[in-house]
Amino acid sequence: MKVIIDRRPIWVIVLVRSLRPIFFLALGFIFWYLINIPTPSGLTIQGQRALALFVVCLILWVTDALPLAITSLMAIVMVPLLGVMDKKAAYALFGNEAVFFILGAFILSAAVMHSGLASRIAVLIMDRFGNTPKGLLASIFLLAAVLSFFMSEHAVAAMLFPIVLEIAKGLNLKPGKSNYAKSLFLALAWGCVIGGVATFLGGARVPLAAGMLKEATGITIGFFEYTMVVFPTVVILLFIGYIGLTRFFPQDIQDIHLAKDVFARKIKGLGKMGYTEYAVGILMLITISSWLLFSRMAGIANIAIIAVVALFVLKLVRWKDIEEYVNWGIILMYGGAITLGAAMEKSGAAAWLANTVIGDWANSPVLVIAVFSLLTILLTEGMSNAAVIAILLPVSIGMAGRFNLDPQIITYAIAIPAGLAFCFPMSTPANAIAVSSGYITARDMAKAGIVMMITAWIVFNIMAKVYWPILGIKI
Amino acid sequence: MKKTKTYLHNPGYLKIDLMLCGIRLNENAVKSLGIDLSTGYTGITGGLDIILPYKTWVNAPFLEDFAKNSPYELIQKDGKAFIKREGESVKVKIIPKPDFYKLKTTTGIPLSKIGNMHGSYVAITPDTRCEFFNMNIECRYCAGNFNSKGGVVYSVEEVLETVEAAYKEGKAEIVYLSIGFSETPDGGIEFLKPYIKAIKKHFNTIVAVEALPPKENKFIDETYAVGADSVLYNMEIFDEKLFKEICPGRDELIGRNRYINALKYAAKVFPNGTVASNLIVGLEPAESTMRGIDFLTDLGVVPILPIYRPVSSVKLLSYKIPSLDEIAPVYKHLYHAVKKNRINMNWVRDISVITTPIEAMFFTGDMSRFKTMMHKFYKSKLGLKTVWGLSTLRRKLRVREVGEG
Ligand code: SF4
Repeated sequence: MKVIIDRRPIWVIVLVRSLRPIFFLALGFIFWYLINIPTPSGLTIQGQRALALFVVCLILWVTDALPLAITSLMAIVMVPLLGVMDKKAAYALFGNEAVFFILGAFILSAAVMHSGLASRIAVLIMDRFGNTPKGLLASIFLLAAVLSFFMSEHAVAAMLFPIVLEIAKGLNLKPGKSNYAKSLFLALAWGCVIGGVATFLGGARVPLAAGMLKEATGITIGFFEYTMVVFPTVVILLFIGYIGLTRFFPQDIQDIHLAKDVFARKIKGLGKMGYTEYAVGILMLITISSWLLFSRMAGIANIAIIAVVALFVLKLVRWKDIEEYVNWGIILMYGGAITLGAAMEKSGAAAWLANTVIGDWANSPVLVIAVFSLLTILLTEGMSNAAVIAILLPVSIGMAGRFNLDPQIITYAIAIPAGLAFCFPMSTPANAIAVSSGYITARDMAKAGIVMMITAWIVFNIMAKVYWPILGIKI
Repeated sequence: MKKTKTYLHNPGYLKIDLMLCGIRLNENAVKSLGIDLSTGYTGITGGLDIILPYKTWVNAPFLEDFAKNSPYELIQKDGKAFIKREGESVKVKIIPKPDFYKLKTTTGIPLSKIGNMHGSYVAITPDTRCEFFNMNIECRYCAGNFNSKGGVVYSVEEVLETVEAAYKEGKAEIVYLSIGFSETPDGGIEFLKPYIKAIKKHFNTIVAVEALPPKENKFIDETYAVGADSVLYNMEIFDEKLFKEICPGRDELIGRNRYINALKYAAKVFPNGTVASNLIVGLEPAESTMRGIDFLTDLGVVPILPIYRPVSSVKLLSYKIPSLDEIAPVYKHLYHAVKKNRINMNWVRDISVITTPIEAMFFTGDMSRFKTMMHKFYKSKLGLKTVWGLSTLRRKLRVREVGEG
């Protein structure tokens, strides 16, 4: 632990410190007020209470005044306490398939990382394709993206970061000055961000959205189905992203033979591929194929958990190794978000809210999708993408009914843009990791990121209008 | 004005004169006042603790040879103690050595070896070693011989037992921890940390820490964060040349500039009036000490002006004890400088071996401050508790712990 002494005038500190109690008091008052005002017409008393709880959670999620997971746990407790749902039903929602899928995916991703397979693949690919500055940039960008198809994008960013850092140092690039270094780190971040939306595995937010949809409407989205919908968008964004990287940061280096030395050292350090790497690799292949082929039949969570069991049966990993990789907080957060989403939906609060807030001016399905995807992509730049889903999805599902819109479509309109956080370090861990290198500043990231964010939103909406109907998804 | 009148009836003058000249003890007085001279009266601060008027503590030597010729004598009248000089006397209170000096820790160490009472301070040096002695660059006035063989390290438990005994007896109000030089970048604070934490955990007390300036300021932050309410980095000598000569270790291995920078930084971290530095009176010309006072007070640091009383083992044998008339202007200057810079004077209090800045007010002839309600409140037990409470609250508000990186 590092100690920091706050040397501001004591009255400033007291004022700042007292903001927290004042904030919670105000929050308590808002909650009390929303519960006690006369129930608006069209809303049930349960709906009113669910809405009051939703507003409180929304404020807490947006402000981060409490850890996301704790807000979610509070939501689980409050739903039955407020009489919105039966106790048993509320807690049962925590056992949602999405939660267990996320747990399984975390463990599998941890095993891949721990076995060393992921870094081996990364170094070999960079060594194979990174012969020119452009080749190396493209291989980092695509590698980050492709790996994020199969494992958590945060884990991919954390894994690739030390390698990219070593490359930057090996090439003697100047932190904060070298354009090439900026593009390398941004390639790492953007690769993870874009790749992370491609499947259920990249960012656990997609399963969350799928879970919330299922609890609210009974509709399921399969692993393959989702990938089909999003994949062309991902490919286009990767293409535009690469162009953007080279345009925003014109290459200022010609020779990268020094990077080759880094790879040679790394490859030597890895030694030959061992049993664990082979076994984990094969198991991952089987698991991903099963998700693609049998997810509707067998259920994505079941496949994930069976794969996890296999990991331990084959002694490929120990529990101790797994524990540090699994983000338990996110699992709790998802459980709570799903419960709250279901409470909003079942009590009719979601539909009422959607109608009241944007019902009057969002008068066509296309506009609804455009508005929600825009809201999502803007919000996700400033807050946790899972929180964005937890806030917007219940409302948007409520909205779907009004336009006879398939709730599945609205789920895509939220789940996909929620992952596309390009602008700031706080938007997503991959960005934060890139900026922490010192080679790229938050300002550089924001400049390029804003353009990329707008482009991504436009591409997404064009694809929704043009490509989705080809798959039979009509807006 | 006759000197006797000035010296005897002004607690500031009297305190310093007693420290310089010592006091003669009348045997009958010792007996009838019930003073037990068998324990605790040896060593550098082993004099008699006396409370003069205005609750001014002094530690007056009486065993040393020079004390035999002191103009002051302790007498008793009707069971009360008086200090007499040239036919005039002033009523005082004798503070017997604490009873806990006779106790031992569970490990068998006499508590008097670990903790020394100086007024309301219990002073403890948990590690008595100082590596300057190993390198022959110890401070030339230093009376210890704390090389790695001669030094002792007391455990946290032993120190806690000592503090507990001092508190139980109602003697201690402030714990003063000190440490000698060791070749670590932290100035000794890493070593003292567990002691400070343990004392803070068990007692609602103020802890003052005397250490060497650390190499990096982050250790000063840690000193405050861990629970030290006050910190002392003692320059001892302000004059650059004399500093080199008299404190060769401090000069070579720490450097005068680092003292200044560390004090400057600490004054921004710790509360007003809690960062202090000793300037030994008499080891450099009075003008130089006064320049030091001005410099330190400008930084927001409280200069503490101990008077040097040499013992035969030290290397400063050519030293000539200054007269009270020579040093009185220095104390007067101290009071004005501290006041001018609006440094809180209430932290350094009730200590018998040095003259506190507030006591320096006696040299201005103005005693009004000692009569104010505020001063009386600060001096009271409730005042001390309030100071402790505010200091703890301030730390709670100011200190933030963040993950590394
Ligand atoms: S730092 Fe100087 S005064 Fe302190 S113990 Fe060492 S030699 Fe003695």
